[in-house]
Amino acid sequence: MGTLIIDNVVAGYGSGPNILKGLSLTVESCQAYCIIGPNGAGKSTLIKVIAGLLKPREGKITFKGEVISGLRADQVLQRGLSYVPSDRSLFPDMTVKENLRMGGYILRDGRLVNRRIDELFTMFPILKEKSSQMARTLSGGQQQLASIARALVLKPEMIMLDEPSLGLSPKVAQQIFSTITDLRKNGMTILLVEQNARKGLQNADVGVVLDLGTNSFERPASEVLSDPRIQELYLGKRREPLATEDQE
Amino acid sequence: MIQVFQIVILGLALGGVYALMSSGMTLIFGVMRIVNLAHSAFIVMAAYLAFWLFKAINLDPTLSMAITMPVMFLIGMAYYRILFASRADNPRFVDITVLITFATGLIIEGGLAFIFTGIYRTTTPEYAKTSYTFGPFFIPQSQLYALIISIVLIVGLWLFLRYTRIGNAIRATMQNRNAAQVVGVNVRWISTLSFGIGLAMAGAAGSLLSFVFTFYPAKHVAWIGMILCLVVLGGMGSLVGALVSSFLLATAASFVSFYLGATWAPITFYLALFLILLFRPQGLFGKKVEG
Repeated sequence: MGTLIIDNVVAGYGSGPNILKGLSLTVESCQAYCIIGPNGAGKSTLIKVIAGLLKPREGKITFKGEVISGLRADQVLQRGLSYVPSDRSLFPDMTVKENLRMGGYILRDGRLVNRRIDELFTMFPILKEKSSQMARTLSGGQQQLASIARALVLKPEMIMLDEPSLGLSPKVAQQIFSTITDLRKNGMTILLVEQNARKGLQNADVGVVLDLGTNSFERPASEVLSDPRIQELYLGKRREPLATEDQE
Repeated sequence: MIQVFQIVILGLALGGVYALMSSGMTLIFGVMRIVNLAHSAFIVMAAYLAFWLFKAINLDPTLSMAITMPVMFLIGMAYYRILFASRADNPRFVDITVLITFATGLIIEGGLAFIFTGIYRTTTPEYAKTSYTFGPFFIPQSQLYALIISIVLIVGLWLFLRYTRIGNAIRATMQNRNAAQVVGVNVRWISTLSFGIGLAMAGAAGSLLSFVFTFYPAKHVAWIGMILCLVVLGGMGSLVGALVSSFLLATAASFVSFYLGATWAPITFYLALFLILLFRPQGLFGKKVEG
């Protein structure tokens, strides 16, 4: 069972206030989850806590029955949980190939990493084409693909993506989403945080709505998509009172 | 014309040691954003260690690098671990490092003055007294050795950063600390190691300059100004930049000191600093910082 269980997690940055205020969520294996919610709801914070980049103040996270909260980022990676950060943070002055090689940093086996990279190059031919270019010369979409590919070098059981379509044109975003769909078909557990709620939910099995650091809503993605409250708040149907409020 | 070439030769000869002096500083800044104002004090400390080894057991300063480098490496790791590691996430980390390293420089200076007094020192191996001549040109033997060893060390460091797993992790941490954490680099350990490597380079520089220059405990004050100019000119964090700017400025200073007198030589460095900050503040090989 590759289930990820988040149990009553409280977290925040530095000495700042709690961003997550007792959040609980169970992520079943081989399912795609899309987390939506307003800014400041704690979507990215949740992913950082799971990835081991931020220690929870309270609560516990288990993955495949093993407690992972409090582990370092490399230890979380070792257990099969990869993370694609929102800012597509590549290493700008390394080539695409070097970036992917850094993805296999914890494997300590150069040959295995190179083999995995070759596999990824067949999956992402554009990255093969650009393999010896510096990462900073890639377009936004290519950077996002490289960032996803870097996370896949470890062959994770679960991948967490933070706003993968941020700043991309609709066409490029669509390519990213179809990549995510491919991963999902291959049986990878996916936890997706998405500003573009409609697109995110269309590519997920389960929709989770976060609000003010707690999990306020969790349904099959198709239900969330058709829920009138959600449509009004996050999907931009019925534009009357709330939409004007949003624009302020 | 012969004179011009001779000046260039003498400039380039010193450039190697300057590059070695600034390489550790730029590495430490690149990885950890620590402005190590004590860097030259650590170099002087290593020079005294080389001096002491030369006096006590007559150990050649080029060989004493085998001691000064590991000793400074360990001091560097401990220094980072004790004073900086727990503060790395502090929003005012850079300010803190300036204060801590400045204080460290003063403490080292005081300690060295207490042990070795303020007398001017230098090591005097046989080769420090002769020069090689070729045609109309000459180069002091000591400077030639220092140049060759410096270049070997810097190229070695460059290859290490470029082609080893740990070296790549160091470069990754320099380029994007956050992303390095995401791929599982233990950034704290890499920082500790990098500080060790930075001070090992300072250790090597100390051994070499012990027979190229004379030194005394307060000498680090003059050198840190020069090193800062070199590092800023090259682009803070850029090893290649430090190398290029060292050879450039050493040669320029050599011209200035020939035509205007040695007291004007340091002006070369500060003038270069002034100009680069005015026209290209990120340095020759540096990256613009966004945001």
